[in-house]
Amino acid sequence: MTGTIFWNGTAIPFRTGESVATALLRAGIISFGAAHTGQARAVFCGIGLCQGCLVRADGRLTEACLLAARDGLHLSPEAAGGQDV
Amino acid sequence: MSDPVLVVGAGLAGLSAAAELARAGLPVLVVDQAQAVGGAFHRQPLQGALSLATAAQDRRWSDLMAKVAAQGSRITLALATQFGGVDHKGTALLTGRMNRLFRPRAIVLALGARESVRPRPGWTLPGVETAGSLQIRLKTLGEAPQGRVLLAGSGPLLLAVGAQLTKLGSPPVAILEAGRPFARPLTPIGLPRDYWIEAAAYLSRLMLARVPILTNTRLTAIRAEGGTLVAEASSGRRFIVDHVALHDGIRPNDFGMPACDVLPVVRLGDCREALGARAAMVDGQMGGAALAARLLGRTAPSADPELARQTRAQARLARIYAHDVTAELNNLPEDTVICRCEARTLKDLRTLGPTPTARQLRLDGRFAMGACQGRFCGDWIARLTSAETSKPGIGAPRWPARPIAVADLLSATDETEGETQ
Repeated sequence: MTGTIFWNGTAIPFRTGESVATALLRAGIISFGAAHTGQARAVFCGIGLCQGCLVRADGRLTEACLLAARDGLHLSPEAAGGQDV
Repeated sequence: MSDPVLVVGAGLAGLSAAAELARAGLPVLVVDQAQAVGGAFHRQPLQGALSLATAAQDRRWSDLMAKVAAQGSRITLALATQFGGVDHKGTALLTGRMNRLFRPRAIVLALGARESVRPRPGWTLPGVETAGSLQIRLKTLGEAPQGRVLLAGSGPLLLAVGAQLTKLGSPPVAILEAGRPFARPLTPIGLPRDYWIEAAAYLSRLMLARVPILTNTRLTAIRAEGGTLVAEASSGRRFIVDHVALHDGIRPNDFGMPACDVLPVVRLGDCREALGARAAMVDGQMGGAALAARLLGRTAPSADPELARQTRAQARLARIYAHDVTAELNNLPEDTVICRCEARTLKDLRTLGPTPTARQLRLDGRFAMGACQGRFCGDWIARLTSAETSKPGIGAPRWPARPIAVADLLSATDETEGETQ
């Protein structure tokens, strides 16, 4: 079973049970936008420790490596705005 | 029903402990942040994905799952659920799929290991990740990433990931190993037989695919160039690749984990001492049985000698891979990023003087003040700032152990309301 998530509005397919990070990586997206330091956001530890892969999921900052992909989920880089709620 | 024992981590240690606790009659809630059980070692593949587990590993895991299943409703499993912490009153916060505030009877922290990765120029570039991160993806998806992969650092995990990439039809371009594991032929002789079998399986697969295993070789720098990564080795060789996976050993993943005065909190498996999968299962069993005995006022079971055997084997492995990490650190260029979160460099660290205090490191240097709280720079700062003392530390880790959204705190089902203290 599969579904679709959206990165900056672009449709990305995912397999049921995979994380947002693996779906983006499989689609060839390795940089998830810029962090406040100017460095790129990207997967590093893969287990939620380094906080390096933070993205906005439906507006909220979260670790892409821990977040389960779900159909229709809209993702964007940290700097794209939204509220840190 | 009485309050459950909260087990954090659904890997070998956590589920082994859960089975023992439930067998003693205690209700257990096991939570894991991942979408699937198995922890790092036994991470289960997505439905329909190729499994990388060997027959022996499959057997070990299905035996454990059968033990868990045998306890029926005494064990509740909540995946995609993060442990947010426990306060001074013993209230634990869970976020994610199970979002609640409640008072467990005790807490077992079975969070496994975190990887140690030595800083190098370019280690913050996209496409550079830890070997464990890559391995979890291989195990989950049952497919290799597109493009060329270079593995570098030190330790047996590099061989394991290399062999798994090879099995998936995408052998790494090379494995750069800083140590000289094949230079001391007598040291491995004392390793248990199953370690030999595992190593032989990895090495034969890698050799068959002609993967260069370059020992006594360090990856000195990585840079991004025209959509690829250029990796420089200490031998002068240069590799043009799409992915670099780094690994310099494992440490307990206990960073920032709390003690609590009002309920027992125990650490089991790699989270207590990073000794690998075999030890984690034994430690989980022993620790789970011991905690059950403590909670029920029974006599504690005697220790399993297997744990001591595994401890000796891991100490031997460490000797096999030993190399001078301090020299590697001291030879880094000044503009090397040490703190990934705040992009603080070696130069920024040196500016604080030869022996900065924890306060100076944090307040003036901003080291370990970022979102990871020092998980990836703490070890190196300790080594770079005081060669002679063992561990100066960079200040006490702060609770919560991970960033928690206010919304998660507000939306948690509070099961402690109305309770008196």
